[in-house]
Amino acid sequence: MSDWIPLWLHKLGSPPTFYRFAGVLQPWAMALALLLGAVALYGGLVLAPADYQQGDAYRIIFIHVPSAWMSMFIYAVMGVASFVALVWRIKLAEVVAMESAPIGAAFTFITLVTGSLWGKPMWGTWWTWDARLTSELVLLFLFLGVIGLYHAFEDRRQGARAAAFLAIIGIINVPIVHFSVNWWNTLHQGSTVNVFGQSKISAAMLWPLLTMTLATKFYYAASLFRRARTDLLALEGGKDWVRKIAEDEADR
Amino acid sequence: MTRPGLATACAAMLRRDLTLAWRRRGDIAMPVLYALIVTTLFPFALGPEDTLLQRIAGGVVLVTVLLAMLLALDAMFSSDIEDGSLEQLVLAPQPLALMLGMKILAHWLATALPLIVIAPLMAAMLHLPGAVIPVLLLALALATPLLSLLGAVLVALTAGTRRSGMLLALMLLPLCVPAVIFAAGAVAAAQQGLPWLAPVAWLAAALVLAVVLAPLACAAALRIALDA
Repeated sequence: MSDWIPLWLHKLGSPPTFYRFAGVLQPWAMALALLLGAVALYGGLVLAPADYQQGDAYRIIFIHVPSAWMSMFIYAVMGVASFVALVWRIKLAEVVAMESAPIGAAFTFITLVTGSLWGKPMWGTWWTWDARLTSELVLLFLFLGVIGLYHAFEDRRQGARAAAFLAIIGIINVPIVHFSVNWWNTLHQGSTVNVFGQSKISAAMLWPLLTMTLATKFYYAASLFRRARTDLLALEGGKDWVRKIAEDEADR
Repeated sequence: MTRPGLATACAAMLRRDLTLAWRRRGDIAMPVLYALIVTTLFPFALGPEDTLLQRIAGGVVLVTVLLAMLLALDAMFSSDIEDGSLEQLVLAPQPLALMLGMKILAHWLATALPLIVIAPLMAAMLHLPGAVIPVLLLALALATPLLSLLGAVLVALTAGTRRSGMLLALMLLPLCVPAVIFAAGAVAAAQQGLPWLAPVAWLAAALVLAVVLAPLACAAALRIALDA
C-alpha cells in the first residue's frame, strides 16, 4: 500500500490546503445538491404515485426523512471530529465540529417541523411525547448546547475544545434516536428503508427519497466547506497565507 | 516530608468543602426554600383539587428538586476558581478525578440531601399517598447524585466562562431526561400499585456508571476549561 493517502490526509489537515481544497469543491457540491434536490423533488412530488392510505400527504417524507437522517449523520460527524480535535488537537477538526453544529441544528429543526406538519393530518396531533419525537427534540437541544457553549468562551479554540467535549458526551443520544422506534413501540412508525435487505417502500417512492438523501449530503458538504473557510480565515487572521489572500483581494 | 495518603487527602477535601458549606448556611437554605415555594405555587395555578394534585405530585416533586439543584449547581466550583484553589487542586499530586469526586460528594451532601429531607413534606403538600413516599425517596436518592455528577461535568466545562447560568440549564436538562423518566416512572408505577423495581434498577445502573465515569470526565473537562 502506497503511503500517499495518509500523506494527502495529513496535508489536508493544514488550514491553507483545506482552504483551497474546500474552495474548489464547494461550488461543485452546491451545484450537485441543487440539481439532485430538484430532481428528487420532481420525482417525489410529481412522478411518484400517491399513497393508497395517506394520499398526497405522505409526500412530505421526501423532506422529513432525509433531514432526520442528516440530523443524526451530522451529529455523528461532529462527534468524530470532536474526538479528533480533543485527542490530536487538530485545528481543522475543531472547525469542522463547530461549524457542523448549526447545520445539524437546522436539519433537526426541519425534521421536527415537517414531522409536526405530517403528524397533524395523519395522527391528528402536532406533537406527541413519543420516544422518537422526544429523542429528536433532545438532539436539537444538544446541538444548541454545543453552539451555546462554543460561543460562551472568549477564546475560540478553548470554546471549541469545551464544546467538543460536550458533543462527545451527547453522542449517546444518537443511537437512542435511531433505535427508539424498535425499543419503544409507540406512535412513530418503524424504519421503512433498510440498507441491508428488502425495503418496505415501492421503488417509485424509494428513488426520490435516496436522491434527496444524496442532495442533503452534498448540501451539508457545501455548507460546511463554506463555513469552515470563513472560520479558518478568522482563526488564522495573522498568518501569512491569510494576509496573501487579503492582499490578492485588495489588488483586484 | 512524606506525602499524605489518598484516604487522608480525600477526607481533608471532604472536610474542607463541608466546613465551607456550613459557614455559608444561608446558601444551603436557598434551594430548599425555592423548592418549597415552587411546590406551593402548583396548587395555586392548578386549583386545590385533590385527585389532580395526587396524580402530578411525584413528577412535580422530581422536577422541582431538579430545578433547585440546577440553581445551586453553578456555585459548585465558582468560589474555588476565584481564589485559585481549584488550580492548586489540578497541580496536586493526588488524582484530580478522585478529589473532584469528593467535591461532588460534598456538594451533593450540602444541596441535595436537604432537598431529599424535605421531599416528604413537598409530597404531602400535594397529597401524594403515604405508601408511595418511600419509593419517591428512593428514586430521589438515586436520581440526585446522578444529577450532581452529570452537572459537575458541565459546570467544569463552563468553568472558564463568565455567564454560565442559563447555558448550564440548556446543557444539563437534555442530558437528565433519562433520569427524570426513570425516577418519575418508578413513582408512577408505585402509585398505580405496579412493580416499580425495574425503573429503580435502571436508575441505579446509571448512577453506578456515572460514579465511575463522571469524575474522570469532570477532571478532563476542568483541564480543558482552565487551560487558557
